[in-house]
Amino acid sequence: MSVTANEPLNVQLKRQALALAQARLRDDALTPVRRDALKLLEHTEFPDRRSEQWKYTSLQPLSAGHLQREATGSAPLPAALAAHRLVLVNGRYQPELSQLPENVSLTRFDGGEALAAETTDDTLRTPFAWLNNATLHDGLQLTVADDTVVAAPIEVLLLASDTEAAHCHTRLRVSLGRHSKLTVIERYAASGPVLTNAVTELVAAPGSSLTHYRLQAENAESLHIGTLVIAPQRDSQVQSFQLMQGNALRRNDVRAILAESGAQLALNGIFVGRGTTHIDNQITVEHRAPHSHSEQLYKGMGGDSAKLVFNGRIHIFAGAKGTNADLSNNNLLLTPGAEINTKPELEIYNDDVKCSHGTTCGQLDAGALFYLRSRGVEAAEAKRMLGFGFVNELLAALPDEAVVEWARPWLEQALTDAEPVA
Amino acid sequence: MLEIRNLHATVAGEEILKGLDLTVKPGEVHAIMGPNGSGKSTLTNLLAGREEYAVASGEVLFEGKDVTELEPEERAHAGIYLAFQYPVEIPGVSNLEFLKASLEATRAAQGKEPWDAVTLLRQAREACKQVDLDPQFLKRGVNEGFSGGEKKRNEIMQMLLLEPKLALLDETDSGLDIDALQVVARGVNSLRSPDRAIVMVTHYQRLLDYIVPDYVHVLADGRILKSGGKELALELEQRGYGWLTGEEEASA
Repeated sequence: MSVTANEPLNVQLKRQALALAQARLRDDALTPVRRDALKLLEHTEFPDRRSEQWKYTSLQPLSAGHLQREATGSAPLPAALAAHRLVLVNGRYQPELSQLPENVSLTRFDGGEALAAETTDDTLRTPFAWLNNATLHDGLQLTVADDTVVAAPIEVLLLASDTEAAHCHTRLRVSLGRHSKLTVIERYAASGPVLTNAVTELVAAPGSSLTHYRLQAENAESLHIGTLVIAPQRDSQVQSFQLMQGNALRRNDVRAILAESGAQLALNGIFVGRGTTHIDNQITVEHRAPHSHSEQLYKGMGGDSAKLVFNGRIHIFAGAKGTNADLSNNNLLLTPGAEINTKPELEIYNDDVKCSHGTTCGQLDAGALFYLRSRGVEAAEAKRMLGFGFVNELLAALPDEAVVEWARPWLEQALTDAEPVA
Repeated sequence: MLEIRNLHATVAGEEILKGLDLTVKPGEVHAIMGPNGSGKSTLTNLLAGREEYAVASGEVLFEGKDVTELEPEERAHAGIYLAFQYPVEIPGVSNLEFLKASLEATRAAQGKEPWDAVTLLRQAREACKQVDLDPQFLKRGVNEGFSGGEKKRNEIMQMLLLEPKLALLDETDSGLDIDALQVVARGVNSLRSPDRAIVMVTHYQRLLDYIVPDYVHVLADGRILKSGGKELALELEQRGYGWLTGEEEASA
């Protein structure tokens, strides 16, 4: 493939994405999904820094050619966080490594069955998510039937691995029936300089209750561009916790659509960047129906020369009377070289709402640091303890002990290591 | 043990201590009294190594060694302990985790054998009992949501575990009712020994009824104006500070 001299990166990426999508076209039940997405890609520019939503994030790390090679590596599986685990390696389902409880059914997006109508390109909205649709060849839908309570959590492990720049696309859909209940732990792991382009959708039918974790502690040289779509329906409850570690490029697009009344969403997250890592959060919560509630608390921590971005938008539609929406983003900068850009946005189109937002950016409290040190705690350890304390409020509130036990050492390590990224 | 000679110190460019001299020998208990803004807290915070307090000139020798260049943790390891006037709340870090980190670092630096988790918990519970603090407080965030009195008792509890050579008590009595004051005093007195020294900063004579000092000093405008025995405190209680500082001050 020829590369035109001085061709802008976004043009290169689009060309690579189209080539990839065309190579994946084949004739099966998913063909319409792929064709539609390909058409959209053909008419869309890939973003560059001039686009408002990509102002702080450069796609430069992708110039290494990740989109031109599919990841094929393997890596040892980390210890399971739940009794039932489903495993995808480089986006491909591994039935022999997976085990599902009896009351959850599984559909593979491998062309055998059509994708459900809710998964439209319009819902996804970003070129990377369309690329995911255009190349769709595998992935999982977990379905819980009406009135079914799945007692034990299910872990979905999404492993990506290669020794050179390469990509994988992952697809996960969790669909809860009416008045059903499920806990799902979505966990990403990677080795090597591999890009994971992930799309996850959570659909909670009326009266259902979903607890969702998205654990993203991939290695520092990996890249992750993720899209999470959450659709809680009438009187359903979704709580979603995200833990993110900085890597060469982490983009976290979240779109929650509260389209039916009584829907409740709790969206919490911890993101920690060290070294020269990058994390960009773009979060939109849409209240489209009356009496829906959303709460968001995101805590970010940056050390060394990490760069963090948080853009949280709450959009309350004209018909969404009686909406409650809160958004907080609190950040801690551990070193003078770290950077955080945070912006809350509110768009409110009716008067009958209760809405609050706030962001803070601070350094470690000098008084608390002195207090710890005056008791003999070394400066570095004191800083680590204060950083841990800063986010521990969110960890301590997690309902699943296995996740908390995994998250604490993860956080300790994320705060201790300052591994530079090449 | 502690030898301060002609100490001048500044906070945010302003000179607070203006030639302070103080000698504390092992086994002694000193009380430093004085009006607000006289430099009492500056002295204790400076001794503990707070960065904002800069030594302009003079000497601070602890066990014969200059400590002014030491980091706060190095001073703690050397055996200096400051009980804070306003103990800091640290949500998200439990008291026990904090004690563990504090004792691990300090005991290692002092060449004492480390405590395992069981010993730490047993010792911490015992220390809580000594200051009438419910052991449940060990699980809570450091000083998080503690009442004023609970915070002060928490300070003394930590001191009992760390067994410092020089204890600096910065208005440990303020905000305590009489029962809590007696509890705290009992804790402090239990540490009194021929090889330890205590320097307490206070506004009130009543603390000195329970922790009886060997010496009382009046600190005003950055200098020790007068030193005496415990009877000086009683005189201050009756006459105020005006007769020493030359300013009119209503006597208590």
